[in-house]
Amino acid sequence: MDSDVLWNPDPAVASTSQLGAFQRFCERETGEALTSWQDFHAFSVRRFEDFWNLFLRWSGVRTSGEPSPVCTSRDVESARFFPNVRLSFTESLLSGAGVADEAAAIVVCSEGRPPRTVTRGELRSRVRRLARALTALGVGPGSRVAGLTSHDDDTIAVALAAVGIGATWSACGPELAADAAVARFSVFAPTHLVLSVQTPRADAGDEPLARARHVAARLPSLVQTLLIGPDAAAEAIAEALSNWPQACAPLAPLEQAQSDGAFEWPLFAFDHPLYALFSSGTTGPPKAIVHGAGGTLLEHLKEHRLHGDLGSTDRLYFQTSCGWMMWHWTVSALATGASIVTYDGSIAADGPDTLWRLASDTRVTALGISPSFVQYQRSTAVHPRRHDLAALRLVLSTGSILFDRDFDWLHEQLGPLPIHSISGGTDIIGCFVLGNPTLPVYRGESQCISLAMDVQAVADTDGGPDELVCANPFPSRPVAFLNDSDGTLRHEAYFAQRPGLWTHGDFVALRPRGSARVLGRADGVMKVRGIRIGPAELVGIVEALPEIEAAMAVAQDAPDEPGGARIVLLVVLREGEVLDRALTYRIKRAVRDGASADHVPSRVVTVPALPVTLNGKRSERAARDIVNGRTPANLAALRDPDLAARISEALRRE
Amino acid sequence: MHSDAELRHVIVEWLDDQYHFGDASSLIKSDEQSFLDTGVLTSLGFVQLVLFLEGKLHIVIERGALTRENFDGMGKILAFVRACRLR
Repeated sequence: MDSDVLWNPDPAVASTSQLGAFQRFCERETGEALTSWQDFHAFSVRRFEDFWNLFLRWSGVRTSGEPSPVCTSRDVESARFFPNVRLSFTESLLSGAGVADEAAAIVVCSEGRPPRTVTRGELRSRVRRLARALTALGVGPGSRVAGLTSHDDDTIAVALAAVGIGATWSACGPELAADAAVARFSVFAPTHLVLSVQTPRADAGDEPLARARHVAARLPSLVQTLLIGPDAAAEAIAEALSNWPQACAPLAPLEQAQSDGAFEWPLFAFDHPLYALFSSGTTGPPKAIVHGAGGTLLEHLKEHRLHGDLGSTDRLYFQTSCGWMMWHWTVSALATGASIVTYDGSIAADGPDTLWRLASDTRVTALGISPSFVQYQRSTAVHPRRHDLAALRLVLSTGSILFDRDFDWLHEQLGPLPIHSISGGTDIIGCFVLGNPTLPVYRGESQCISLAMDVQAVADTDGGPDELVCANPFPSRPVAFLNDSDGTLRHEAYFAQRPGLWTHGDFVALRPRGSARVLGRADGVMKVRGIRIGPAELVGIVEALPEIEAAMAVAQDAPDEPGGARIVLLVVLREGEVLDRALTYRIKRAVRDGASADHVPSRVVTVPALPVTLNGKRSERAARDIVNGRTPANLAALRDPDLAARISEALRRE
Repeated sequence: MHSDAELRHVIVEWLDDQYHFGDASSLIKSDEQSFLDTGVLTSLGFVQLVLFLEGKLHIVIERGALTRENFDGMGKILAFVRACRLR
């Protein structure tokens, strides 16, 4: 067996999986022989219009209007999908392919409170009442509802109600600094603000409310703030909100005054603006991206049902917060009939194994984590199998590169489970490369390219790794950017670099066997002595050394050196390690031997931590600014803005 | 003023810092060994070494004198630097 194979599918899965079922459906409908994955993927790209049309039918989404044309052209930039189709995003998620009212919908977990299960029936009833309450408040098509919200059932219910009656939803999680939330919402221009509130703790002051007031006072478009959460009607909250900048009221009494009787969910156009998301700030000022209802729904259904084989017996937990696209991705899993787990709290609330305990207690079948979580777990010597993870059948990871050693750790700790390293992003509210229940898992690789996406690796004329592009239109491209009436920003973001192709900004290596290895962001590329070097090429090598906790490589301007730049490697050492000359040499030798002499960093510097954005993504952009003596342009998007000064000090010392 | 032994140490340390990361001593088996032929240094590396030595020792090395006969090996470098200082 190939030593890189970490997991092989049960041969029976090909016939019992939803992917297998849909593949056979396509065979019957088209008369094409689609016996292998390669055949099927090739079909899905070559005849992507037929693929999406058949998938819409097969998925059972209720629509009105003719599904013709499926796509207005084959131009990746301008084509529109299903211009004559109307649907309800909310109805599809609440229905969950018709799952019974008694089935669990959401298992709500939070720090300091016992888990609570919300059934499908309760969720359906609640969202209907909330939709009526919001309608009574004037929310409808054209409204923009912003959430400063926690990851819990209240947020999901109000978001589904808002988008169900035609509003557009955008949220920031509690981790986002007030000014960063203002920066995002100023562009979004919300009409309504939904605020998760908790009774201020005696030892914590009213900081969350002060933060919310700071945001609300800076949004002139706001007409009303609505409070959600178990404490929304508490006396202490009411007092704190007495001088709020706008009308402000708890949503619960308005909700409870409404009937939960039958509700005819209105159908909206396929491209109706559903969500506004903001890019993480990893690569520049956050882009304000609007995703459409139909594209989001179909892409998520495709990823969940075909690539993840999620269904009514599954329970998904993904480590996320409301502002990250993985929140939207997670919520969409309701449409498959699966239940989801929410968790509002620290991943170390009950020690480093908090998430494993949560997965065990809530019987999670599909667990979504991140490479930084894996690295954290490795450093704490946690043993997940000390918890009962018998229900777990799938592990997913996204956010940054899941390196070989991360695959190995997961494999060693969890045994023979498929590991889906999924990658795409906010820009497409989905994935270009991801998992597949019918294919092996190779160490360090995503199993396959997403169905109906013509993903290619394009060589750059400057040399260096290939860049990921997509050559055909797909439904989950942004329908617009905010403040971009003529589409210039959208064009510049994806299409200006290579006309006729979506250039995603990731480096990728596509394997002949159909798998893919993402190599990092193209905009983090270093050009040293005229050679383009992807940071991931050397970071993976350095992080495999036992002394190194984490590493990041960035280019530093060096006018006196050939090419005008050199590589600076920032390293976080494991406890007790010291960066002496011997370790510096070991690092450089490992890079030279594992990559090339051109990849060897000129400077190796120990830092207390690496800069990460509020979404938990490592920010090479911030590090690049710091090592070049600049204040990070995305300072407000960093989890620890004070870290910049500490890294600068480390650079001066060494 | 550096002795030959001190200068040898400075060069080996520079080779380690720049190219060989602790392996330079084991790569240089004799004073007569060619650096170019045995991969101890490339031609670009020689230029960088010259710049380093000029800065470190406060000497000027004429670029026209940078030939294999004068510079390609530890023994030749030591002799060449010694001669530069005497001038």
